Amino acid sequence: MELAELPVPHPKANEAVVKVSAAGVNSIDINIREGQVKAPLPLVLGQEGAGVVTAVGAEVKSAKVGDRVAWSGVLGSYSEYVAAPAEALVPVPPGVTDQQAAAAMLQGLTAHYLCYDAHPLKPGQTVLAHAAAGGVGLLLVQMAHNLGARVIGTVSTEEKAKLARQAGADEAIVYAQMDFETETRRLTGGKGVDVVFDGVGKATFARSLNLLRPRGMLVLYGASSGPVPPVDPATLSDKGSLYMARTTLAHFTATREELLARSGAVFGMIASGKLKLRIAPMYPLAAAQQAHRDLEERKNAGKLLLIP
Amino acid sequence: MKAIQVKQPGGPEVMELVESPVPQAKANEAVVKLAAAGVNFIDVYFREGRYKARFPFVPGQEGAGTVTAVGAGVQTVKVGDRVAWCGLPGSYAEYAAVEADRLVPIPEGVSEREAAAALLQGMTAHYLSHDTYTLKSGEAALVHAAAGGVGLLLVQMAHNIGARVIATVSTEAKAKLAREAGADDVILYTHTDFESETKRLTGGKGVDVVYDSVGKTTFDKGLNILRPRGLMVLFGGSSGAVPPFDLIALSQKGSLYVTRPTLAHYTATREELLARSSAVFGMMSAGKLKLRIEHIYPLAEAQQAHRDLEGRKTTGKLLLIS
Repeated sequence: MELAELPVPHPKANEAVVKVSAAGVNSIDINIREGQVKAPLPLVLGQEGAGVVTAVGAEVKSAKVGDRVAWSGVLGSYSEYVAAPAEALVPVPPGVTDQQAAAAMLQGLTAHYLCYDAHPLKPGQTVLAHAAAGGVGLLLVQMAHNLGARVIGTVSTEEKAKLARQAGADEAIVYAQMDFETETRRLTGGKGVDVVFDGVGKATFARSLNLLRPRGMLVLYGASSGPVPPVDPATLSDKGSLYMARTTLAHFTATREELLARSGAVFGMIASGKLKLRIAPMYPLAAAQQAHRDLEERKNAGKLLLIP
Repeated sequence: MKAIQVKQPGGPEVMELVESPVPQAKANEAVVKLAAAGVNFIDVYFREGRYKARFPFVPGQEGAGTVTAVGAGVQTVKVGDRVAWCGLPGSYAEYAAVEADRLVPIPEGVSEREAAAALLQGMTAHYLSHDTYTLKSGEAALVHAAAGGVGLLLVQMAHNIGARVIATVSTEAKAKLAREAGADDVILYTHTDFESETKRLTGGKGVDVVYDSVGKTTFDKGLNILRPRGLMVLFGGSSGAVPPFDLIALSQKGSLYVTRPTLAHYTATREELLARSSAVFGMMSAGKLKLRIEHIYPLAEAQQAHRDLEGRKTTGKLLLIS
């Protein structure tokens, strides 16, 4: 990753050019940089950000110059300016800063689709959230708690357990110290949980199926520990007519309508103080290399942002 | 009493008609004089030894009749009640002792033969369309093996809910049955690829839910015709078991859901068992659910009933009567 001097992009007919105030740093950026996720080179990294519209193409109706906007899934955000398809931009309301918007687009919208749509949570239901002090985890715990669910979180350290509890987890299991399967069974009186939200994958998947109640649901939304090996569907009936899903944000923001509704809901939670973001100390754009190193070493609890 | 007994695993010939004492009701049991016993594929699996059983045993997992005796502690039924059950063995007999909490009352307007024919497949179709996926009016469902035992009931229930039903069948004769049951579109998968045809029928959108009891030969293609966030309900494997599959297929094909349900988990409490059986019986007595009883055999002809079932010549329910 090199800091380069490039011309400011011009908008195509359906694009808007945005002056970037903050760009989110995500593990997908590392996957693209390393070539695990293919993309034509050279490229400007970064999928997520927020800023102010400075120019719009001829056909753009949904944004105008001066609008504060945010996005995810648009390549090129590690930059002072980015040209984005206007349909990918969502308005940032007053009460939400550009930095907050950039920090919340991917993880906030993910947490939102998980507990509002992938498995709509009801008050009194019990949730197991893996990596509960992680980027998505801390937001998911807050939303699930606000929905009235009982939240059991798994974390790797006592320090992270504290964060998860502060976010509203009723129980935090330090999986390095005790088996989360046994402990979750104990905590639920043997009944199991209604839903498991699993972004960890390989290391957690099989045991997670063991602690669902009959007809419970496992939502696999990531695989930070590696991909889950192929699953025999008979496992699902043997363990109680279980459901499983493997989800990605794109399918939960597929229409402009849904993208706006979901981002509006998340920004509303932030503005009203119901959703607290944890943003790590910010990096100048020129320190992108350091930001990646820190993300890879998992040094920081909290969202990493680059400030151009 | 007369009963069919299996002494060792094997073909239909291992089922022998024997004379044995009428069972006594133990505590929490009721003895039922059987009017009809349903014949199901699971009976074949137990007979063959594919499912574990302690030999000798009396096969039959489904039946209906009248209570003749109750054991100590039984509160839910009394002598003279018309009852039905499924999921417990012993119904290929004149009498069976059954756990009382598994017996459901048969309402007026439903015969014992109908009750024996409908309980397992009817409650299966009911949980699939009402609970595993709660179908709504206007949604589209693909039903594989739509002219099969569960299939014809599922098509009727889905149609009555107001869903659009796309059915797959193997022959023209079965296509006719599926249409009569309320299928909006019927695909002869032997002539037409059900994947491309379902895509065409849904304008490329895909269906909300796939009900798949076929398994191995249909599962992968079934995933291709679900709308984003749609549900694959795998509830059997008549073509063979679905091999382990990579979950990444679910995200690539649209954040899909998969479930593999069994009736036991949808009738786990007495409350749910009663609610579900009475919903099914209610549909029958209201004329909203039509059964297809294909053949009724005397108990002594159990071997022939199994031969006919395994030969897949049948399109309706087989019953044994004593």
